[in-house]
Amino acid sequence: MEKTEVTINGAKNVVQVDDDTPLLWILRDTLGLTGTKFGCGVGVCGACMVLANGQAVRSCQIPCSAAAGRNFTTIEGLSPNGSHPCQRAWLEEEVAQCGFCQPGMIMTACALLRENPNPTDELIDKVMSDSVCRCGTYPRMRRAIRRAAEQMRSPKQC
Amino acid sequence: MLTSRRKFLKTAALSGASLVIGFNGVRLLHGAKTSAPFKPNAWIRIDADGIVTLTIGKSEMGQGVRTSLAMLLAEELEADWTHIKLVQASPWPGSDLGTGGSDSIRSSWKPLRQAGAAARQMLATAAAAQWKVDRSSCTASHGAIIHSPSGRSLNYGELVGDAAKLPVPQDPPLKDKRNFKIIGQRTSRIDGHDIVTGKARYGIDVKIPGMLHASLERPPWDGAKVKRMQEDAARAVRGVRSVIKLSRGIAVVADSTWSAIKGRTALAAEWNDPPKDTFDSETHARRLETASRETGFITRSEKAPAGTGDITKTIEATYHYPFYAHAPVETMNCVADVREDHCTLWVPTQAPERLQNRVGELLGIPADKVEVNITLIGGGFGRRLGFDYAVEAAEISRAAKAPVQLLWSRADDMKHGHFQAASVHYLSAGFDAQGQPVAWKHTKAGSFHNISPLDPKEAHDAAWYQDWSWGAYDVPYAFPEIQTAYVTVDLPVKHGPWRAVFAPSSVFAREAFFDEVAQARGADPLAFRLEMLKGADVIKVGSTVDRRRLRRVLEVVRDKSGWGAPIAKGHGRGVACNAYFGHTYIAYVVDVAVDPGNNVRVEQVVAAVDCGLVVNPIGVGVARMHDTPTIEVHIVPSDGPEPFGMGEPPVPPIVPAIVNAVFAATGKRVRSLPIRPEHFRG
Repeated sequence: MEKTEVTINGAKNVVQVDDDTPLLWILRDTLGLTGTKFGCGVGVCGACMVLANGQAVRSCQIPCSAAAGRNFTTIEGLSPNGSHPCQRAWLEEEVAQCGFCQPGMIMTACALLRENPNPTDELIDKVMSDSVCRCGTYPRMRRAIRRAAEQMRSPKQC
Repeated sequence: MLTSRRKFLKTAALSGASLVIGFNGVRLLHGAKTSAPFKPNAWIRIDADGIVTLTIGKSEMGQGVRTSLAMLLAEELEADWTHIKLVQASPWPGSDLGTGGSDSIRSSWKPLRQAGAAARQMLATAAAAQWKVDRSSCTASHGAIIHSPSGRSLNYGELVGDAAKLPVPQDPPLKDKRNFKIIGQRTSRIDGHDIVTGKARYGIDVKIPGMLHASLERPPWDGAKVKRMQEDAARAVRGVRSVIKLSRGIAVVADSTWSAIKGRTALAAEWNDPPKDTFDSETHARRLETASRETGFITRSEKAPAGTGDITKTIEATYHYPFYAHAPVETMNCVADVREDHCTLWVPTQAPERLQNRVGELLGIPADKVEVNITLIGGGFGRRLGFDYAVEAAEISRAAKAPVQLLWSRADDMKHGHFQAASVHYLSAGFDAQGQPVAWKHTKAGSFHNISPLDPKEAHDAAWYQDWSWGAYDVPYAFPEIQTAYVTVDLPVKHGPWRAVFAPSSVFAREAFFDEVAQARGADPLAFRLEMLKGADVIKVGSTVDRRRLRRVLEVVRDKSGWGAPIAKGHGRGVACNAYFGHTYIAYVVDVAVDPGNNVRVEQVVAAVDCGLVVNPIGVGVARMHDTPTIEVHIVPSDGPEPFGMGEPPVPPIVPAIVNAVFAATGKRVRSLPIRPEHFRG
């Protein structure tokens, strides 16, 4: 059990856990960042999505040994006060029902818009279908992503 | 079914500089059995700084109930919406905080408004006394009492001290709904900001000092015994504190979630083989089908009046409904801290009192020594009406002598949940010589819930059986002769409530078979529904069905969906409708595309909804899980003076609308679910 340095939301953390400990449990149990959710533990539901150097990754599939030296962003670090265009659009479109999957969904959407500032509906569907919302908020998420994309393209509103 | 709440307002107490008004709990699942004595525990509280705190007595699982209940209160209180705070109620002796049956708004509608109105009246009385004016010249608005003739006003916070000394009015006048400012307005979810910033705390997010983490290996079948396991290997995993054999399985308790998961994997428990010829789904489906031919318990019987034509032709069909899992994204979990003579739980639950009682029984302590803290719920769908996971957590905490968080894996959730029971429906319809349908028969073979024992004292009468067959016995169509029945089939697998409870299977079979009747009649399925909803406007068959409201939602989807317009080859349009428990009326028109391999894609859903008075339009929507079509929801202006639920009612009629659309596209009937190519019947 070596000491490992992981960078989360810009802060360096030294953690002492087994090498195979998934980043998800480092975030939740070790660092107390519970905004990232456990849903399946096998990389299929997307509830644990975080950003790794800007890319959406499933934190349940990243062992501690592979997390060292990378910069991760969680929902807590996305913006100081919920001001990221995706978070604002999510509120404006009233996306959430139970809300449990939504941090993962928002992180996925952020990575999508970073790569594709003007995604087609087909691309939105394709990328977001990697994650599961059991309440079925998909139509509202589509609208929120389109809205966030518009806001991010319009410098005045950003 | 409703608990009497004439005496809902019992006390106003000065608590520091706060005005606190209690109201008693309201009816929940299957009805409170007694009219419990009042124990103030749910409150409106107004502090001297003007902050209004409402204790919410329902569990939030995405239906927006924390917001909509606060809206009811704030409306009558004339509170400033930006000065509202919420706290979640914990059970108290006689409380009934259970959440289910799409009943929260309906059952809270009057008592919460009365609580708000009483507080408003007391604040106005206090202000009038200060100003030495008549109370009727004072009005309440945005958290203040205003005396318009003199232009004076006092904020609620300034009045709480005086108001709290006044007697609580028992029957305060409620606002006319024409004067509503908050109810009926699109109102953002109070928890919305916490959700998008990751601050919302669900059960799984609870942390308490000294808390350990547990994973539980459960027997794969009832009565299974461990053949072998590697206890030492599990203990050797770093962070594992103990391996504990319990009545419910083998618990691995560790310092962290990951250590508990690894420890359980290292345990490599092997279980003995189940006895041969025990339960399997296919055998059970055959038993259900056989049973569906029995007479069963007749839940409704109407004989054809004299002059009805003789039956010269009969059609029949058998519909199969499978087992369903709930699969909420937040798996079952509970934090339990069991001490010598009391226990504290943090748990995402829809059934806090039953959970409290069961944990009390397990630990041999009175129920009121079990403190239940209800967290936000990451998806309920009826799964959290069961409380197995809380009982497990309590048992593990007792054995480990430490506070413990038990977390179910996704595999645990799929293997050990309580499923929606499978059922088989046998339907037939008789036609007279003119081809007019004159008889309808629907027999449901299914199983009652077994996650908690049924009350043996309850009379097993028609009303009781009707409770198990919503959607079947309350067929709304005007067939001269109607017979519906229920046949009980034993089911050893754990099964219990699932969203919309018993209606989805019955409405699936009823609405899909009704399409077959329309086809046999050579009629348009939507026009034929309207035709068969003629006759008495209101029928009372256990629940009350208002055919006018059902006709109206059908007319709205007909007009909004372009029903009757030509549709491309390989595409089809289907319709279905339902009166949910006689309260919420929904009709769907669904467009599907079916490819040559019989793979179905739902392209568009048009819904019309009459759920009575709409408290928060944001809360009304239709949820589908995958390959989401465009969804259009039309809220039909309702005559209903009161609001009804919208959590469950959308579920039952969607599937029959889809299979009816599949028929329109392909000429093939789907009488078994899920909708898969192998279930297409030519």
